[in-house]
Amino acid sequence: MALEVQPPDGRKRVKVYELKDNDWFDRGTGFCTGQILGEEPRIFVESEDLPNRVLLETRITKDDGYQKQQETLIVWTEQNGTDMALSFQEAEGCAVIWDFVNAVQQHLLSLTSADDALSDDLDSYQSIILPGPELGNLPEIEQIVRAASMTQNGRDALSKYIIRDEYIAKLVPLVTMAEDLESLIDLHRLCNIMKSLILLNDNTIIETVVADHIILGVVGALEYDPEFPTHKANHRQYLADKSRYKEVVPIKDPLIRRKIRSTWRLQYLKDVVLARILDDPTFSVLNSLIFFNQMEIVNHIQSNGPFLRDLFHVFDPRNPDQRRKDDAVQFLHQCAGIAKNLQAPSRAQLFANFISHGLFAVIAFAVKHLNPAMRTTGIDILSALLDHDPVMMRGYMLKAVNEKKTPLTDTLIDLLHVETDLGVKNQLADAIKVLLDPQIPMQDPLGRAGPDYFKVRNNNLLSDAFVQQHFDESSKRLFQPLKQLANRTALNDLTFQEVTLYSHLVDILTFFVRQHLFRTRNSIQSESLAPRVAQLLRAPQKHLKLVALKFFRTLISLQDTFYQALMTHNNTFELILDIVYETMPRDNLLNSACLELFEFIKRENIKPFILHVVEKYREKLENIIYVDTFQNLILRYEQMQGYGAEADATLFSQDESIAPRRIPLNGQRWQGAREMDPAEEDYFNTSDDEDEIKWTQDRVATADEPSSGSASAVVKPLVDYPDDDDEDIMDTKPEGAEQQPVASPTEAFTEVPALSPTQTPPAPPERLAEKRRREEEDDDELSKLTAGPKRRSSTGGNSGAFNMNRKKNMSAGSLADKNASPGVLNKVTSAAPKRIAINIGSTAKPPVSETDTPRTEVTSESYEKENRDDSQGNEGG
Amino acid sequence: MSDLDRAIEQLRGCRLIPESQVRELCYKARELLIEEGNVVSVDAPVTICGDIHGQFHDLMELFRVGGDVPDTNYLFMGDFVDRGFYSLESFLLLLCLKVRYPDRITLIRGNHESRQITTVYGFYDECIRKYGSANVWRYCCEVFDYLALGAIVLGASSVLEPTSNTALSSMPADSELETEVLNSRGEVTMSTYRPRQRSSSNASTDSRNISPPRDISAAPGQAAAPSRSGAPGTGASGDGNGSATTSRTGAVLCVHGGLSPLIDSVDKIRLIDRKQEVPHEGAMCDLLWSDPDEIEGWGLSPRGAGFLFGGDIVKQFNHLNGLSLVARAHQLVMEGYKEMFDGGIVTVWSAPNYCYRCGNVAAILELGEDASGGGTVARSNGEYGRSNGIVTDNRVISPGRRYRVFEAAAQDTRGMPAKKPVADYFL
Repeated sequence: MALEVQPPDGRKRVKVYELKDNDWFDRGTGFCTGQILGEEPRIFVESEDLPNRVLLETRITKDDGYQKQQETLIVWTEQNGTDMALSFQEAEGCAVIWDFVNAVQQHLLSLTSADDALSDDLDSYQSIILPGPELGNLPEIEQIVRAASMTQNGRDALSKYIIRDEYIAKLVPLVTMAEDLESLIDLHRLCNIMKSLILLNDNTIIETVVADHIILGVVGALEYDPEFPTHKANHRQYLADKSRYKEVVPIKDPLIRRKIRSTWRLQYLKDVVLARILDDPTFSVLNSLIFFNQMEIVNHIQSNGPFLRDLFHVFDPRNPDQRRKDDAVQFLHQCAGIAKNLQAPSRAQLFANFISHGLFAVIAFAVKHLNPAMRTTGIDILSALLDHDPVMMRGYMLKAVNEKKTPLTDTLIDLLHVETDLGVKNQLADAIKVLLDPQIPMQDPLGRAGPDYFKVRNNNLLSDAFVQQHFDESSKRLFQPLKQLANRTALNDLTFQEVTLYSHLVDILTFFVRQHLFRTRNSIQSESLAPRVAQLLRAPQKHLKLVALKFFRTLISLQDTFYQALMTHNNTFELILDIVYETMPRDNLLNSACLELFEFIKRENIKPFILHVVEKYREKLENIIYVDTFQNLILRYEQMQGYGAEADATLFSQDESIAPRRIPLNGQRWQGAREMDPAEEDYFNTSDDEDEIKWTQDRVATADEPSSGSASAVVKPLVDYPDDDDEDIMDTKPEGAEQQPVASPTEAFTEVPALSPTQTPPAPPERLAEKRRREEEDDDELSKLTAGPKRRSSTGGNSGAFNMNRKKNMSAGSLADKNASPGVLNKVTSAAPKRIAINIGSTAKPPVSETDTPRTEVTSESYEKENRDDSQGNEGG
Repeated sequence: MSDLDRAIEQLRGCRLIPESQVRELCYKARELLIEEGNVVSVDAPVTICGDIHGQFHDLMELFRVGGDVPDTNYLFMGDFVDRGFYSLESFLLLLCLKVRYPDRITLIRGNHESRQITTVYGFYDECIRKYGSANVWRYCCEVFDYLALGAIVLGASSVLEPTSNTALSSMPADSELETEVLNSRGEVTMSTYRPRQRSSSNASTDSRNISPPRDISAAPGQAAAPSRSGAPGTGASGDGNGSATTSRTGAVLCVHGGLSPLIDSVDKIRLIDRKQEVPHEGAMCDLLWSDPDEIEGWGLSPRGAGFLFGGDIVKQFNHLNGLSLVARAHQLVMEGYKEMFDGGIVTVWSAPNYCYRCGNVAAILELGEDASGGGTVARSNGEYGRSNGIVTDNRVISPGRRYRVFEAAAQDTRGMPAKKPVADYFL
């Protein structure tokens, strides 16, 4: 049968979105046409930049759930399950394509219903009619609405009726009527009806609800929740309060003004009015509406040149209106907050726009503000920029240095030194960390590729020497207070502010060392910072001791000869042992941290440290007997010297008894793990005289012994390289899992003391390496948290449009439905990028993904329950 | 009235304290927590609680049912924040109580006490919403890093003194009360018995329902803290049971999640530097993320962190460490508590109607004090040379366990739960 639908004329400018990994991915901008090719109705989008490139070609079928959202958006699900959206520049263009889609679908539908007279859909569409909106009819209305909500057909039919009949608008007057009559029962009924209608989870209905002339009536009804019969909320008072909307520079476009208002109302509905009763699909619809509104608002703002000029003009020093400046900062802060939810390209564009108008000056203004709250706000904006693209930010900073202007970092460092508000100080420290970090990995460069991307990147092509020089100078400035500690003999009179400052500085230093040990060498060396940090080990403040301890623990884990020498050429270990003495045998955090440090040295068998510690502090070690860590260290030492192994081995518990097996290989393993560089060799040749011969012998043995080569190939390198972001985590490997591959080749040429068959806990089902690999494959809760673009709160809307299309599969509220969603989510999110290294300590919040674990294997009922609630609570929270 | 007491009063009314006060509080808490071991020793009697998840009004209900601080000793097994709408009020109140009564309340870390998790599941947003910046969130996260990883309860009584006299008449001869379940009105709804003076491993538990609930005479005040020794009508009968036995009640290990393949003895937990964000793997991670499951040995956790562990693991761990019970939280159980593996492990869940819609009840677990004067059992936590199998005698029996089950706070007492709306807006 021929299609009798006329394709629309003209091309409509449109952006094509695809839902990928739960995120609306921008496929590009182009021109949209509706066409009928042969017998097939299609939507075509041709790229704007490359006219021959087709961005989208899709066949319209009768089953695709096309939805029109707001004025300019069409959303649907492709046959293959992909969720797509077209965002039109003009409402009119949207309407044209929408009409075409509708006409096609109607036509196709009429064809099939002719074939199939038993179509349920059509039957039920006509079947619901609500009685007239009068108080007397409320019981009946409530009953019909409730009954209709139970089935999908009923819900569809009810939605259609409500929309067509503009029924909500008719219900609104009943609220004041019932209030006048003080008829609580009617008000409760109205509340139930409104709830049910909202939970029909229909876009159009929700958009109606937040319309100007309706919203107050709706929330008015919702103030009388029968579940809280003695309470009445005051939503109307809140929403009617016009003073809550603030304007720094008036936005003139009435459409945008309306969007701002309705976004605010949607948020209030989501967070307050409906917070307790929202089900997943409705939550998603709300989020989705909010997301698209915000996108349009932000797009409007950044494309509105006069507006931006006026906005940034507020900060003109000649402008005396302080209040207005503060408001403008708040405004920008809110923009930045919304921007976090946008996609990277739009966000990049927005920020680039702001920066070109003078955003940095605004930040400088805010961070020097007298009011700490304003300083916090200012740094929040900065953090948003840093989160977005640290490389770009560093580019700007270095450019300033290059142009002999005061870079932002200097300002921040000076502020950090004097800041008294501890919250702000914290933020400053985090910002400095990121800004000075010269080795930010290039994450996801394409995703960030805004229009100014390459321009900004080019600024980064400054010589490495220049970067190093800037880093050194900034470090010098930053760590100045730490350096001045040299003049202090006692630390008993540290002020609270000083303690905070030092702990931030040491924390930053630790971060630098871990992130890029080579660059940091200079400043640690020239400023002799390590002894200063060691000084802090004696501070009376325990948390300060801990911070200092963490610094040295990090040095140890780097297994870098330079840093090893730093620790062995002065009394650092003596100070650490002092802490052990001070705290033992009490069981507390500081004590555990020290034990962990020595356990790590023992476990990783870090030879220079074992030699140093045992030779210099043997007596001290011997006196610590409340744990066996230190005895074991001595034992390790003696084994290195080539005696004592066999005799003593049986005295020790099972896991320790493995140790002797490793001994003859130790040197080799250590060398096998990485190449000795000349500096390292130097170091060993000079610092450990007695050991030299032994050491060389080991190396000869390595060369001669083929089996050891294969051994070290099997072994996971002992050396944790600095790029391993887990390195400071306590790294206890299950002995059974880790060491067996090491041990077996050893047996060929070593006497192995018999293992005492003590109770061995069953080995974990797999080696850690396997677990790690598995984590990379599976969709798991944790890796998802660290992967993917950052999204929170209103961005749940990304999945929103998606869920919306699925609404046929879901009915409101019931928990049983949640069973369905994990599988669905699973499909969407399974391709999420895994385990991007994150920096937990910084202001930069870890990138998170909205979905929780969609668990594949559910083993017990309680699991299933929690799992379900994980994904739901997540969306709900 | 000190500032702290005032803050407690204010928070009990579900009203927040100013940011500067939060900061003070967090610093004080830090000083206190830094002195705690990774595994805190706690003496019975103590009431063990599971996840709270920001359900402030239900936390108040918990205190109503279990007795107030400092009258009752509490041990909270983490997950104070996220999901519910009052994470701040709940956590800050608990922290205030901790600072005010350090020996009366113990807080250990849950997997939600983490920067990463709180940014996703609500606590971060709540802080921004209620304080306008992330500062308070930062202070709280700093405190999270200091929280202990577990606790070990010592000196719990193996014999449960029946709550009501009437229950006694139905007690089988030559047996003692092992567990008892009470509803929020203090009425006994279920009791289990075991033969007197046997080790728990071969105890045949006689489980019977006592229904309808007895109309006991306990006044609300008594119902609030009936685990105190000397509660009315309990002394005479309980007496003979307790002192006659020669076997000892094993210690109870409390952690949020469960066991770890990297931790074969409680002592090993001591070797963790816990002041860090919860890692993605390793011992510390496992303690906070693992779950028991009906499997043998270890299994992969569908959560992507931690492991599943079976009854054999629990049995062996308990045996090696002289433990009679592992108490943990971390999983929603509809009945509020769930014992597994012959009572070797129990899940306690204290957030009723989780997420305001799951329809579950909550529970707390009371362990009584061993009144027989036998002192505390030798334990392997902390002391030198006891890392492996110190308990030679097999007769470690589990403590008497009293579960108090409660439902979500009545609607009227808690107002309508909702998030705080934003004050002003530009966009």
